[in-house]
This record gives sequence, structure tokens and C-alpha cells, in this order.
Amino acid sequence: MDSRAFRRFRRNKGALGGLVLVVAVTVLGLAGPWLAPYDPVEQFTDALLLHNGLPAGPGIEPGHWLGGDVLARDELSRLLSGARVSMLVAYLATALAVLIGVTLGLVSGYVGGRLDTFLMRVVDVVLSMPFLLIAIVMQRVWDAPGIWTICVVLGVLSWTTLARITRAKTMEARELDYIQAARALGLRHVRILARHVLPNVMGPIIAIATILVARMIIAESALSFLGLGVRPPTASWGSMLNDSQSLLLGVPRLTLYPAVLISMAVFGFNLFGEGLRDAFDPKD
Amino acid sequence: MIRFILLRAMWGVLVIMSVVTLVFFLIFVAGDPAVTVLGPQARAEQIADFKAKKGLDQPVPAQFLSYLGVMPCVRKDSPKYERDDGSRGFCGILQGDLGESYSHHESVAAVIGHRLPRTLLLASLAVLFELIIGLSAGVIAALRRNRWSDTLIMFATFVGISLPTYVTGPISLLLFAFLLGWFPFGGYGVDPLDHLYHALLPSLILAVAGAATYARVMRGELIETLRHDHVRTAKAKGMPMSRVVIKHAIRNALLPIVTLIGLSLPFLVGGAIITEKIFAWPGLGLLTIESIESLDAPVIMAVVLMFGVAVQMGNLLADIAVAALDPRIRLED
Repeated sequence: MDSRAFRRFRRNKGALGGLVLVVAVTVLGLAGPWLAPYDPVEQFTDALLLHNGLPAGPGIEPGHWLGGDVLARDELSRLLSGARVSMLVAYLATALAVLIGVTLGLVSGYVGGRLDTFLMRVVDVVLSMPFLLIAIVMQRVWDAPGIWTICVVLGVLSWTTLARITRAKTMEARELDYIQAARALGLRHVRILARHVLPNVMGPIIAIATILVARMIIAESALSFLGLGVRPPTASWGSMLNDSQSLLLGVPRLTLYPAVLISMAVFGFNLFGEGLRDAFDPKD
Repeated sequence: MIRFILLRAMWGVLVIMSVVTLVFFLIFVAGDPAVTVLGPQARAEQIADFKAKKGLDQPVPAQFLSYLGVMPCVRKDSPKYERDDGSRGFCGILQGDLGESYSHHESVAAVIGHRLPRTLLLASLAVLFELIIGLSAGVIAALRRNRWSDTLIMFATFVGISLPTYVTGPISLLLFAFLLGWFPFGGYGVDPLDHLYHALLPSLILAVAGAATYARVMRGELIETLRHDHVRTAKAKGMPMSRVVIKHAIRNALLPIVTLIGLSLPFLVGGAIITEKIFAWPGLGLLTIESIESLDAPVIMAVVLMFGVAVQMGNLLADIAVAALDPRIRLED
């Protein structure tokens, strides 16, 4: 990030707020499972299940600060270990999408011609794939779906925007004098792409990738909310929303906790990403 | 122009075909429809019988070509299986035959025809709300640029974009249906007016993200337009602000918004899966989940086909509308 972009970013209060949220949820994802006071899948049927069959509320049982969940597990511990799953999936899926999208975008924009036409047609096909449907079918194909399956599915289906942007920026960069010079000098194409073109197109890629993390958080939670994401008893924020659906009216707090965390994480990544985009590509 | 549309349409058909091919084979990788549909208690001869009727005992490529309608029908229970003269008929999508649902005991066309109007009601209400809320919020924000109402609206749009429907849906049910009792608690209702009443809350939830996007686009365009000389002249002549906004600004903002609507249509029509699930709205979204869970292959294929057509049509219509609205744009291939 050059210093002008950095200054523009620092002046943007919203973007800074976004950065704070991003750091917060990332730390939560890294440290969450260690901070969790209990095993997230252990059931405390004696302590956390009331006589009316509902889970105990916050503060009723000492040590269980947020009370119990639908199956009398420690809610706080599940939220904390769920943070790891949700953030891990979001980051890994985004990394995969960046890897595919940026590589194809670079090659497509740099090589041009028939390969470019073909790759952009592939983008069209991927865009026409019904996301949830493919994700669901893939879940059934791999019999033991875990976090990794979800990462692969999400990553493989969401690289298209990145590829398009990278391609457009690469086509611009290709015409720059010093890249023409590097080609004339006979440098290897891979080296030109990695050392000279990539740094030039990096800014917008980082911004889009940040916003993509927000999308991946939403997508993972959506799958888990439909019961098609992480398998029980593993907790993710989305699967916790799914678990709490049956008690929406009786114990609304079980819906609110993960809902607030998901919204905060998505909000943070969106704000941060938009701030980056404005910093790299100022319009006003 | 005509050339462009034809080329694009041809390309669209090609894209749809590749998606259809992919999904068709994916379903067979996903599992055995006969076993899933008949359940774990089914006897071996029942499964064999079902497979023979549906042509599932044939090689998968043959099934696929029969589904496309380029090879004679393999589904023995289809009325088109045998023609009157004893020769084999065709029963594929080329003949306009989407087959028969495995679990609904109805033709796929009937199942979809039953569900589609409900989803269309939801989608059209959602677009209406998106436009009303989004455009007016955008206009207000632009006219009060950098004042607190603008900041508030822009903050709200950011929240709107960041809130997924599975967060806003349950919370709105809790608040507006359960605590306040203004709306019914999900479902579809019994008569047309009741359907409309039941559709209000889900379509509002569906409209949140779109409205936020339109508000941001509208604000940006309006600020841009208000800078133009001809708008300054209009204002200097004493043209009231409301007319300036309507005559010049909204017209300019129409372009990106029409494009956005075109691109969002497939997701409103086919992708309201989560909203339909939360509000128990028995439309295409719920049908999609049900058919995937039961591996109801003909219905899955039809949904995929419709989604593909909607994406391609949305893209094409957006391009055409933009060209029609902006004389500077000429469609080239």
C-alpha cells in the first residue's frame, strides 16, 4: 500500500472501525477455543437444563456466564469455539478463491486471445451455477463433509469477481512501459507476472478479497443454517443459529448471540474492504 | 443490435447447457435417487421396478441424452415412451417435457407451475420495496449530503448490506410477528388477500440488502448529477428541487439500477431459499431444498434450468435496457 493510499485509509473513520472489528473477530477465531471455559460439546444436563425443559439463562449457574444452549451445552464455550470454525472457513475459502481467481485473471489478462475468451466463458458458466444447490450436492458427494469440504465448495464457486477484476487490471498493466520493457528483455513470463504485474494489481485484489471474506462468513452460516454446513456437534455461528431455531420464541437469546456475532463480523469486513477500495481507487 | 442479442442468446443457451450437463451427472454422483426417494425400508424389487419405470437402469449417458430429447425416451412410465405405431417417442427438454417428479407424483411442469406464482409474488413485492425504500433513502441522503441524516442513512445501508436474511428473518419474526403481532407467523395464507398479507414481512426481509444497495447507488448518482452544469442552470432558473431530482437525477440513476435489478432477478426468483425456509413460504426456494434432500432429480434439473435461464435473461435484459435508456451505448458483439 503506497503512502497516499495509507493516508486516505487512515482518514476514513468507518474503515478504521471496520479494521478494529476485523482484528477483534480474527483474534476471537484464533484464541476462541482456548478462551472457552468448557468443552463446547459437553452436556451439563444437571446444571443447565431447567425443570421446564428449557436451558438455564445467563448467570443462573455460576461459571456458565451465558447459560446453556438447546442441548444444555455451555453457550459461551460454543460461541467461542464456533468463532474458530466460522473464521477458519471464511479465511480459507477466500484464500482458495484468491488463488484461483488471481491466477486465472493474471493469465487471462496477460496472455489474451483465445485463452482469455475461453477463461471468461468459464467465468460465465460458474456464475450461472446455483450456489446453494452445488454446495448441497457436493456435501452429499463427499460422504464425510467437514470444514474442508465447505472451504473447497465456497472457494471453487466464488473466484469469479476476483478473476474479472484481476484480468481487467492486468490488461491495463500489460501496456505499461516498464512491463513492455521487461518483455522485450526476454524475462520469463511467470517472473514478469509475479514480480511486475502482480504488485500493480494488488490493491483492488486486497479490497475485493476483504469483502469476499464477509461474503464467505455469510455463505458458511447460510449453509450451516440450512443444516448443510458443519456437522453437529461441531459449533459454528451458523449452526448455532440453526440449533436455536426451534426455541426462537422461548429462548430468543440463543438466536441473538450468534446473530449479533455474524453481523458484527460481516459488518467489519465490509467496512474495512470498502475503506481499502476507496483508499486504492479514490473517486472523489 | 439484433445480431448482438442473437449472439448473446446463443451463448446463454450454451452456458445453460453446460450447467445442466454438470448438474445432471453430479446428481448421480450424489447418490441413488431410487433409494433416496423410496426410503430405507424399500424392498429390492420395488427399487428395481422404480428404476425400470424411470429409466434409471439405463446407462447414465443414455439417460442424459434422453433427458435432452435427442435420444428416444428411456422412461417407461412416460406417455411418450411408445408412439401409436409402436416406435419409441421422445420425452426430453427439447420436446418441452421436464419429466415427472419422483416424490410429488405429478409432472415437473405442474409442480413448478404450482410454486412459481408464489415465489413471483414474493420477488415482485421485494423489488417494489427495494425501489421505494432504496430510491427515497438515496435521494434524501444525497440532498442532505454530509449532514447527520445522510450519515445515518449511509450507516443504515451498510448495516443493511451486512445483515444476512437468516439474521434479520428470525429477529423480525420475533419482533413483528410474536411480540407486536402485526404480521402472521410465517406460512402462505388461504385467499389472495391473505397471501399478500403473509408475503409482506418476508418480502421486506428479502428487500433489505437490495434497498441498501439501491440507496447507495442513487445517492452517488444524484450527487454526481447535481454537479452538472445543466442541473445548476435548471436550479438557477428557479426550477423547484423536486423537479430537478425527478427530471434529471433519477433518470441518470436509472441506468445502474436497471442493471442491478436485472442481475438480482435470478436470486430473487430462485435464490430466496433461506427466506422461504424461515417464513415457511412454500415457493420455489422450499421446493429446491425439498427436491435436493429427496434427490428428486427431475425437479432439481428443472430448478437448475430455470435458474440458468433467469441468470442469462437477467443479464441480457439488463444490457438491452441500458442500451435503450442511454443513446450513447451501442450494443456490439
